Amino acid sequence: MKLEKPPAPAAAGAAALVVGTLSPWATFAGFPGKMSLGGFPGGARLFCLLLAAGALLFLLDVHGRRWAALATSAGAVAVVVVNLVALVDQGGGAGSVAWGACMSLAGAGLLVAAAWRLPPSSPAAGEATPTRAPVIEIAAIAAALLAVLGAVVWGLRIEESSRFVSFLVFVTFLSIAVHHLGVFSWLGAVFARHHRIALLLAGAVAVAFPFTQQGNAYWIRVFASIGVFAVAAIGLNVVVGLAGLLDLGYVAFFGVGAYVGALLSNAALTTSNVHLPFLLVVLLGGCIAAVFGLVIGAPTLRLRGDYLAIVTLGFGEIFRITANNWDGLTRGPNGISGIPDLALGGFDFGQSHAVLGVTLPGFANYYYVELVLICAAIVVFTRLNDSRIGRAWVAIREDEVAAAASGIDTIRLKLLAFAIGAFLAGAAGTVNAHVTTQVSPDSYTFLESILLVAAVVLGGMGTVPGALLGSTALFVIPEKLRSFQDKRLLLFGAALILLMRFRPEGLVPSRRRRRELREEAPEGVPGLAGATGAAPGGPAS
Amino acid sequence: MRQFVQQLVNGTVLGATYGLIALGYTMVYGIIQLINFAHGEIFMVGAFGGLTVYRYWLPEAWADKVWVALPAVLVGAIAVSVGTAVLMERLAYRPLRNAPRLAPLITAIGVSIFLQEAVRLFYPDGKRQQSFPQLISSGTFEVAGVTVAWVSVFVVVVALALMVALQVFVKTTRTGKAMRATSQDPESAKLMGIDVDRVIVITFVLGAALAAVAGVMQGMRFAQIDFRIGFLVGLKAFTAAVLGGIGNLKGAVLGGFLLGIVEALATQYVPQGSSWKDVWAFVVLIAVLVIRPGGLLGERVAVRA
Repeated sequence: MKLEKPPAPAAAGAAALVVGTLSPWATFAGFPGKMSLGGFPGGARLFCLLLAAGALLFLLDVHGRRWAALATSAGAVAVVVVNLVALVDQGGGAGSVAWGACMSLAGAGLLVAAAWRLPPSSPAAGEATPTRAPVIEIAAIAAALLAVLGAVVWGLRIEESSRFVSFLVFVTFLSIAVHHLGVFSWLGAVFARHHRIALLLAGAVAVAFPFTQQGNAYWIRVFASIGVFAVAAIGLNVVVGLAGLLDLGYVAFFGVGAYVGALLSNAALTTSNVHLPFLLVVLLGGCIAAVFGLVIGAPTLRLRGDYLAIVTLGFGEIFRITANNWDGLTRGPNGISGIPDLALGGFDFGQSHAVLGVTLPGFANYYYVELVLICAAIVVFTRLNDSRIGRAWVAIREDEVAAAASGIDTIRLKLLAFAIGAFLAGAAGTVNAHVTTQVSPDSYTFLESILLVAAVVLGGMGTVPGALLGSTALFVIPEKLRSFQDKRLLLFGAALILLMRFRPEGLVPSRRRRRELREEAPEGVPGLAGATGAAPGGPAS
Repeated sequence: MRQFVQQLVNGTVLGATYGLIALGYTMVYGIIQLINFAHGEIFMVGAFGGLTVYRYWLPEAWADKVWVALPAVLVGAIAVSVGTAVLMERLAYRPLRNAPRLAPLITAIGVSIFLQEAVRLFYPDGKRQQSFPQLISSGTFEVAGVTVAWVSVFVVVVALALMVALQVFVKTTRTGKAMRATSQDPESAKLMGIDVDRVIVITFVLGAALAAVAGVMQGMRFAQIDFRIGFLVGLKAFTAAVLGGIGNLKGAVLGGFLLGIVEALATQYVPQGSSWKDVWAFVVLIAVLVIRPGGLLGERVAVRA
């Protein structure tokens, strides 16, 4: 990194920002992050300061880190804007905004201007991914995973909405900057090189999570819900991400599993008094869901992709309406409640346990069960993805006609994808019945299906980390934005539109897909971007 | 028998709404192969646009004069629907014209959720049902023992007139010809000097206008609307479009009427029919796709590669 003298606007902006963040942002006390104190760079102001420091660093580097500088400085602007909005909104007018915030905004704006004038950075900074010593690489993996855990724990500790939004903005813009430095593509390569160790370390981080909560059950409970959702998302990823079949009624399979789990567990309010061992129920739930998948799939899978989407949607609705009306089996709209906690060989999953001096609440038990389930799903997913079957699915996804012409039995393979996806959803559903202790038809609406699809698409189609990240983000962020509760869906809709517009490949795109995109870009042939999917009037997907 | 005819009449009225909305689905699909999932919401905002004109802009003296109030409400509905549809096409769909196929479909779902929530949150008292004015007398008359409301007559007549008008427009005008050309082959259409972007916008505009009229009809028939009406009706209208053969205008109309009649009859004759009434559309959809995937009037389309 060769440094040079900072351009005048950058220096002025940085100075203004530092002074601004050290001065009060609010005129009276009572705001989160002690906004009214001077000389206290805490809360949102810390994020602002850190982003500004990053921006200055990139501005000083002559190698033209234009995008990184832009991302960090724009992030600083965004943090100030978020807090200005929150201050005006909660403080009852512009009177609550102190001059410190305005000065920070001006400073951050100057930094953006300075970054804008930088020469464009060399394209594809991630192209060169030098190999380092294995020890360094493994250390990098561990550091990255610890950073993720740290960010999650830090984020979860933030109680207050506007500060959490500031934190999200901070993490997002920082990630964009880091991405433009090529760190992520290097890390991706490193993960691929040491994938066994990386998986092991990721598992360790996941196991460690409940220990960071100091006996507080709330977030462990949320993560227990995420775990179930994540298994379903991985299953949906087989269907959507690998085989390219859009399933808009996927939650029905999840629901089938949940009802099977509820009916076979001797719940307090149920219509059947059968009680089978849990492990059997999980398999049974999966199998019954898979049978449903085959029944739906067999007649409809020879249709074109978007017809399939609507038929699956219709099936989802039929499932919900049936569950609502079939009082004899499902107890109708009341649902089945009082589902007992799991007990495996005398181990009661409802009890809390003390491990290594930390009390783990009952939900932690379910969390660990789900981790096991997720591991199983990951094994299924990756083994399939790397097999002949997986390649056949991708071929079907890209061009069904060509795939059939190459001797792939497309219908059978699509059915297989459908059944496997349904199986995973069903298995996840049986666990979910125990986590939520009740099942009712309103839990399996169209919106839930959309949420699952969104999790897969947001994370990145066809990748496991994508499905995990997507479902975590979709669960944690709404949970954190309680004060936006009412506008949650509105923001969700807008987010779907923006996501498709600016990053249709998702947060963690699959390597195969990324390679396709990267190979196309340099050729610069207009219209080729649509070659992987279907241009209007192009091949059926 | 009387009951049967009564349900036939009810089904026809229901089907007129489905048919009008189905036309929008089928036109957009015919031209850009997109299931415009948000089309049901265009129908919904149309109804709200009409209500807004009636409630806030129409002088009270004119409110009960049918010949002023009804056109004003219709114009308001069409303006809101068309405006929304044009914005949606420009901001959400056009940038994705060359994206992989799933992307625009997911965008459409996003648009749908966004529009529903926008109405729920920002329309005055939008969380509750809104009462819709009965612009035409709510009276009924009887023909051979079958009760028919005047509104129903209006609905069916207007719907049929609009369907014929659309057919004539697409078959005879220059723009209609451009639309047909674009739907057959956008690339070649472009080479022939057709402004494909313009044609696509016109398609959205036409579909939205029809949906807006359907929205006003729905409001008048049920006397109330809320932000959720678009979802199910939209799905059923899409089913109607598929039933008739997607991309085919006559098919959409036929499918709409058929679906309406099936739903009315099933509600009447199947035990506990009313609690299952939303299932029939999907059952019909699956049955059609299994038995005749091209729809009733659809030709077997070769898969273009």
